[in-house]
Amino acid sequence: MNEHVSTIQTLALELIAAASDERTLDEARVSVLGKKGTLSLAGAAIKDVPGDQKAAFGQALNTARAAITSALEEKQNALLEIADRAALSGIDLTLPARPVPIGALHPLTLIRDEAVQILRRMGFALADGPEIEDEFHCFDALNTPADHPARNEKDTFYFNSGKLLRTHTSSVQVRMMETATLPIRIIAPGSAYRRDEIDATHLSVFNQLEGLYVDTDVTLPDLKGTLEYFFHEMFGTTTEVRFRPHFFPFTEPSFEIDVKLQVKGQAPRWIEVAGCGIVDPAVFEAINATRKDRVLDHGKVTGFAFGMGLDRLAMIRWAIKDIRLLIENDIRFLSQFA
Amino acid sequence: MNISLNWLSTHLDLSDKSIDGISDLFTFAGVEVEGITSRGIASEKIVVARIIEAIQHPNADRLKVTQVDCGESELRQIVCGAQNYKVGDKVPCALPGAVLPGGFTIGETVMRKVESKGMLCAAEEIGLPKGEDGLLILPEDSPIGAPVKTLFDSDVLLELEVTPNRPDLLSHSGMARELATLLKTPLISRPPFKPDTIPSDTIRIESPDSCPYYTATFIADIEVRESPAWLKERLTSIGLRSINNIVDVTNYVLHEIGQPLHAFDAAKVTGALVVRQAKEGEAFKALDGSIHILTSDDLLISDESGAALALAGIMGGLDSGVTESTTSILLESAYFTPANIRRTARRTALSSDSSYRFERGVDPVAVVQAAALAIHLIIDGKCSEPGIQSAGVLPEPPLPVFLDLEKLHRLLGNSISTPAAEDILTRLGLEKLPAGSWRIPTFRADLQRHIDLVEEITRIHGLANVPSRLQATFAPTSEIDAAYDADMILRRRLAALGLYECQTIKLIADSQLADILPLRLLQDGDLIRVKSPLSEDHSIMRPSIVPGLVSSAGRNVRQQINSIRLFEMGRVFRNAGGGKALDQESDALAILVTGNTNSSSWAAKDRTADLYDLKGILSALLPNQTVTLKPKERENVALSAEIKAGDQTIGVFARMLPKRERDLDFPNPVFLAELDLGKLRKLISSPTQTADLPQFPGSSRDAAMEIPADTNNCRIEEALGNASEPLLVSYECFDLFIDPSGRKIAADRKSIAYRFNYRAQDRTLKTAEIDEAHERILELLGKIPGLTFR
Repeated sequence: MNEHVSTIQTLALELIAAASDERTLDEARVSVLGKKGTLSLAGAAIKDVPGDQKAAFGQALNTARAAITSALEEKQNALLEIADRAALSGIDLTLPARPVPIGALHPLTLIRDEAVQILRRMGFALADGPEIEDEFHCFDALNTPADHPARNEKDTFYFNSGKLLRTHTSSVQVRMMETATLPIRIIAPGSAYRRDEIDATHLSVFNQLEGLYVDTDVTLPDLKGTLEYFFHEMFGTTTEVRFRPHFFPFTEPSFEIDVKLQVKGQAPRWIEVAGCGIVDPAVFEAINATRKDRVLDHGKVTGFAFGMGLDRLAMIRWAIKDIRLLIENDIRFLSQFA
Repeated sequence: MNISLNWLSTHLDLSDKSIDGISDLFTFAGVEVEGITSRGIASEKIVVARIIEAIQHPNADRLKVTQVDCGESELRQIVCGAQNYKVGDKVPCALPGAVLPGGFTIGETVMRKVESKGMLCAAEEIGLPKGEDGLLILPEDSPIGAPVKTLFDSDVLLELEVTPNRPDLLSHSGMARELATLLKTPLISRPPFKPDTIPSDTIRIESPDSCPYYTATFIADIEVRESPAWLKERLTSIGLRSINNIVDVTNYVLHEIGQPLHAFDAAKVTGALVVRQAKEGEAFKALDGSIHILTSDDLLISDESGAALALAGIMGGLDSGVTESTTSILLESAYFTPANIRRTARRTALSSDSSYRFERGVDPVAVVQAAALAIHLIIDGKCSEPGIQSAGVLPEPPLPVFLDLEKLHRLLGNSISTPAAEDILTRLGLEKLPAGSWRIPTFRADLQRHIDLVEEITRIHGLANVPSRLQATFAPTSEIDAAYDADMILRRRLAALGLYECQTIKLIADSQLADILPLRLLQDGDLIRVKSPLSEDHSIMRPSIVPGLVSSAGRNVRQQINSIRLFEMGRVFRNAGGGKALDQESDALAILVTGNTNSSSWAAKDRTADLYDLKGILSALLPNQTVTLKPKERENVALSAEIKAGDQTIGVFARMLPKRERDLDFPNPVFLAELDLGKLRKLISSPTQTADLPQFPGSSRDAAMEIPADTNNCRIEEALGNASEPLLVSYECFDLFIDPSGRKIAADRKSIAYRFNYRAQDRTLKTAEIDEAHERILELLGKIPGLTFR
């Protein structure tokens, strides 16, 4: 009897060894261990085995079953390994990727956000105002006389209502000072409009960022420290920043700010990036008149203001040669900012 | 404003100053240097050469091989293409090593196999004004071998931008005065003019507010002719054209002193000069030929006959000016009130070097000095100088200004000492008075307040010498901050969803109105038009962002880009009451999707974006909201719908009309959305509280249904929305099938399959419970007209 078990085992192991895939291996398992399998049938014969041999026969059966099961498992693993290898072979990693749509923020958004983030680190909060403005907020309150060259229909868009499209975001300064309590520490990014023909360096609608700090002891060192820090953050801490005296109706003294731009392979050059100055007392006086109080008494309160062109900063940052690229929205341009 | 360095040097010694140094000084004093142009020849290596021989080049028809004498031991062989010279002429020769304007360095070369050791030059090639074609032929007496630069004057032209508060700088003497202050060097002293004036009956000022002071000088026996060489040279050095000896003198004095003058032909003036307001509607013919209809606000110089001789301070009349036949003149030098000149110059759109100075304010003291200088130059010693007739009184000199030292030092961060600050004011021509006040020179009427003096001190001191202070106060977050942050979140989501952010011009054209998709329909008069647009393309404040995106998408289509997904955020504008109410500004978000959903690839079939792609973007933009489209008819668009987040309408959805797509050459359907950004900002906030994860497994059941093809899916969603089945936690539509051929299902039916997910919070559901719940759902769905289960 034991030889019979031994023969079954030998045949079974041969079958298993011969199995070439999952299916033939399963057939082998069924033919040996299945209900009608050779080993199962042999096992069923234990009832005919004399009592004193039953133990030995049982042990022989168990040994055979263990050997077959283990062979099956081994073969199973070997087959899986072959299958895994087959599944991984012949794959061309160098085929292009499956496309995933890619988008991007507009460069103006990127530069504006960078500026906003730097200024927020310095404690500036955002402010805003209408783009369709009145003459008071755009000019009168900003110490710009009624016959100032900017205030004509050649340079400024007017409406039949007498309103106009703000020529600068400085109008937001006025709106903030009309209502705010001290200290005022705000920035206002936004659109401004000038009646310029659109060409490589001009847009009739462009983007500015305005800043204002008004308190009891705001000085030129504050103005200088703030804007130097800003442009160092923007263009790198080693970038040289210079302040040139200039004239604006609403600040005095006034300055234009240049940074020294280093472009690889080019001689460094100074580029104008912003205007700034100490708020002119006449601006405080005009706003006090509408506020009907003396919160902005220029004997006690000082402030500085600054403004910069975001389109221009973007052009400098990314060496954009034609400002129209910023409004044409050619995806070949926009995708460079992805 | 053009300044000649040679002219400037007549006022102060600049011999040891570099042009870059002078340029820097101006820059840091607030005078922007916009250009520096050298005139004349820079290089020493351009010398006088005589052409000894010129023979035909063996290998080039148009070239000659010349032998030239440059005063060296041997003749020099140079290949030359010019035709205008003859052998024996003297011409400029650039020797090897010479640098020509534009930075081009001459070397020894071989031209078509013939050696050439230099270059024979034309006038413009060596930095002189362009002359005849070909080589510059030099005078016969030019010494051979001498640098050509010694034969020509050289000068540097500075183009300076003077800010509007500094009219005192609009002349060479004014610029020299500023430069002397900056350099701390003295001006070259000149014999002082002390002209007398004679009060006159032949000048009548009827408008003393506009013209407080007027002088006129009658100069007889003049001859109008060409100006002397020195005068022509001065004017050409700053880019002016010489006209005649009279006009040139007035121009010279204007650019020397800053006081505009005007010469009338005395023969054309009848009786006294009258300074008067124009009559309403009075016509004036300017010397440039233009005719202007004046108002009573405009100031005229006329005569007793009433004829308008000049538009005061702006431009002379065509009929009263100096001509070749003029034999006597009346020379005007006056003080006109700036505001008046500004108004008239702007209204008539006439501007001149004169109006430019009068409208900024001239130095009253210079009025008579300028007249005296001009008379001196016109007479030129040929007769005794005539007297200057005057009327009116000069404006009062500027009032003294108090300098508050404490405020000065605080503003400058104690970076300058009081003596240094006072020295700056003194150098600028101010004079210290007792008790902290300063007398202001007549040419600095812009200095009126404490802060004006502070500006002068700061300007000369330089911000470079002021310390930096890094100190801030805290500012509370504003509503605008919150809106800004929300917008950035939305922008980043859209970019992550594969959309490109755009920026378009907020002024649009009438023709673009066909594409608008405003949140609320526009009434007549709601459009806000600018009064004087630059062009028809930019005439209306956009009531919707979509037109800008449509035009950007069109541009990309023309560039053969076939997958277009764009968005823009920003202001939109409308009048709230047909033009009668306030103009309103609000913030919107627009999205445009057209063309392939992705770039062509081996791994993904090309698919043209449909409305569900845009709907998907909207859903992904607001993942915590149920975004639905509720069909709502609109004119001029197809498939229009309200975009809903829950019950709230947040925007408008549409497809462009197919005809419009064809008209604009869009090859694929264009899907559009415009959303109310104010509402979106409130919908993107994170949940206030997280939900517990389910503790027990759920189970799902599918249902395949058939409904009439024209029944919208929303009927099913509405029914499910109304169901109050506590065990139903979610459902999804996972299949849709139609068969227009009618073979598999009737052509007027569609098959739609949903999966329903059931779960209880507190236990594992028994099969029977799930079946019962599912049965309740099916019963509800079964009430939809025409719905059958498959």
